[in-house]
Amino acid sequence: MAEKRPATSKTAPKKPASARTPPQQRTYTIADHRLENFDCVISMDRDAATGETRYNVTGDLSAAAPPIRDSKYLEREQCIEIYRWMLLNRRMESVLESLYKQTKVVGGVYFGLGQEGCSCASAYALQNDDWLGPMIRNQGSLLVRGFSPADIMRQYMAKGDSPTHGRDASSHFGDQVNRNVCAPISMLGELIGVMTGVCLGARLQGRNIAALTYIGDGGQSTGVTYEGLNFAAVQKLGVVLIVENNLWGYSTPADMQFRVRDLAERAIGYGIPGVIVDGTDPCQVYDATREACERAYRGEGPTLIEAKMMRMKGHAIHDAAQYVPKPLFEYWLRRDPITRFEEYLVEDKKWLTKNEHATLVAEVDAYLAEERAKAEASPMPDAKEDAKHQGVYCDSTCHDIRPKYAEVKFGKEKKAAPKQKSNEAAVHLK
Amino acid sequence: MPPVTYLEAIRQGIYEEMERDSSVFCIGEDIGIYGGAFKVTEGLIDRFGAERVVDTPIAETAIVNAAFGAGLTGLRPVAEFQFIDFISCAFNQITNLLAKSHYRWNAPAPIVLRGPCGGGVHGGPFHSQNPEMYFVHTPGLKVVCPATAYDAKGLIKSAIRDNNPVCFFEHKFLYRRIKEELPTDDYTVPIGKARIARTGRDITVVTYAAMVYTALEAAETLAKEGIDLEVIDLRTLLPLDRETIAESVKKTNRVILLHEDTKTGGIAGEIAACINEDCFDFLDAPITRIASKDTPVPFSPPLEEDFLPDANDVIREARKLRAY
Repeated sequence: MAEKRPATSKTAPKKPASARTPPQQRTYTIADHRLENFDCVISMDRDAATGETRYNVTGDLSAAAPPIRDSKYLEREQCIEIYRWMLLNRRMESVLESLYKQTKVVGGVYFGLGQEGCSCASAYALQNDDWLGPMIRNQGSLLVRGFSPADIMRQYMAKGDSPTHGRDASSHFGDQVNRNVCAPISMLGELIGVMTGVCLGARLQGRNIAALTYIGDGGQSTGVTYEGLNFAAVQKLGVVLIVENNLWGYSTPADMQFRVRDLAERAIGYGIPGVIVDGTDPCQVYDATREACERAYRGEGPTLIEAKMMRMKGHAIHDAAQYVPKPLFEYWLRRDPITRFEEYLVEDKKWLTKNEHATLVAEVDAYLAEERAKAEASPMPDAKEDAKHQGVYCDSTCHDIRPKYAEVKFGKEKKAAPKQKSNEAAVHLK
Repeated sequence: MPPVTYLEAIRQGIYEEMERDSSVFCIGEDIGIYGGAFKVTEGLIDRFGAERVVDTPIAETAIVNAAFGAGLTGLRPVAEFQFIDFISCAFNQITNLLAKSHYRWNAPAPIVLRGPCGGGVHGGPFHSQNPEMYFVHTPGLKVVCPATAYDAKGLIKSAIRDNNPVCFFEHKFLYRRIKEELPTDDYTVPIGKARIARTGRDITVVTYAAMVYTALEAAETLAKEGIDLEVIDLRTLLPLDRETIAESVKKTNRVILLHEDTKTGGIAGEIAACINEDCFDFLDAPITRIASKDTPVPFSPPLEEDFLPDANDVIREARKLRAY
């Protein structure tokens, strides 16, 4: 389109309003709350001499960690509470590692090391009536939502009194009744559409709620991610999608998953707000999640939040992550969410004394020791007894299905179905 | 009351359930103002509003996932596939998310997954399929394939009231070809119960959906030769009504398994195994399968005609069985 030019002649013919309007500039912006940029590229290189192919990182990895950004909303007690959840998250995963090494875990263990601030602070922003759809690394979110460390340990140990009675593993469990947590499945991106439906269901019942779920830099490549979030955008449903960009999808670097600079840019294509936060800064994660929830409560639709961080272990416990260039670990270790938040609370804010901090850590460890003992003492399932739990079918006696929030309002007088108007010509296949 | 078509019976069933229970809502592509590609949801949006007749983007996974999510909040979604062929786009969602949910974490998925299936209308490979067996193989689902207008209405109501994910396959060949008078009361037809469509003493034909009419047509011809067919209309494929099948086989001692789905991996194989387990000693002849050829559904009428089983196939096989 031509640029707008000032009218130079009084005799210039009048144009319709639309033609006089200057071409619309597309001025989408992506809010970026970080206090630093991570500007490195991970590429696949082949060593000509040895023939070995490996990943290399290029860029400046020397920067010191940025400070924690003060939250617009969180006060002292809340920050300490989030910190406690993060500690519980990390130290529980240490217990899981220990149980695994003692061969008490069935299958693998998935870690959220380096991502605890993102899991815990985001789940902390939810209200009771909101929903959570956790992914495999969001064990911290499950804790915040009210599951116990013993629940998670029992899942990993395949115990008979685990939340799924030994029928499923890891964070694959939920609670539809009290905690509003949807159990994930292994296929990535499904919960985005599910959370869309949860918001749709709540809205039919007269409520705008927020439904938080996560996807990784790997999982966001799936088609269901697009289908679910696009539907939420079209219907203005309150999905809060945190794209946890932890740089690795199993062994594939983020640079081989997508071509955009920031995954938050995907939001532009959905017509929804996109936000970037430092995923190792719980204050940034909390503030962005909270603002996304408030947008959801106002009925304005979904938000995509990209949280930048790094997965500090392999995909699961069997994976030593030897494909990850060492300097990356060093860079992100300096950005460890727990160390930095501890410094923030103890040194910067002086909200915790060193003694109080030590007490907090000791309490978390003591609690975890109790939880571990309980989980270890739990029985394995008895295949003969398993039938006393729910079957594959839900019969009329096991669940009374009714609207969770309120009856759907439909006050009109009952009517019989009116006669169909269309004739056979309406359809070419009969 | 004037007779109503199979299609209209389904529409009435959905309409009446939405009147009866405000937690029932429809979700799918072009189901609102347009009323659905086949007009099954015609007029629903005028009565129940766009909130309860939700048009979606062309995104089958979003439809099924959102239906599941809404189900978690205690609602009863009725999801439409424009053609049931497109159910494959949501295969993962149905088989891994919905079907396993109650068993894994005690969360029911009270969702109806409905759409037009079947051939005989020259729809070609992607608008004629019978994908029921993908779902019959999945524990946690129910699979319903009605053959009559009465059953279509009674079963869609049962499917909506069921606490489980129900695949409801509507045979599009029957949509406007069959009509019957329906009771005016709020009746349902139970899921999991077969129906004897014709009582006979010589040979049992186990079938469902449009093939019920093929079997009945063959029975008319065979009756003149003194061969008396008993025709079982399964109505539900999962859970399968083994008792009704066994009872009939024990009486006739000869059995033909007939379906429009392709032969290999079709339900006939499963039913044959059930008969072996339940009433092998009562068989006087080998179990006979009649099904579509193991190819995609061809488009051109002569090819499709050759692909689909017809009454002549049943007549031929019945004569062989009688002579065995």
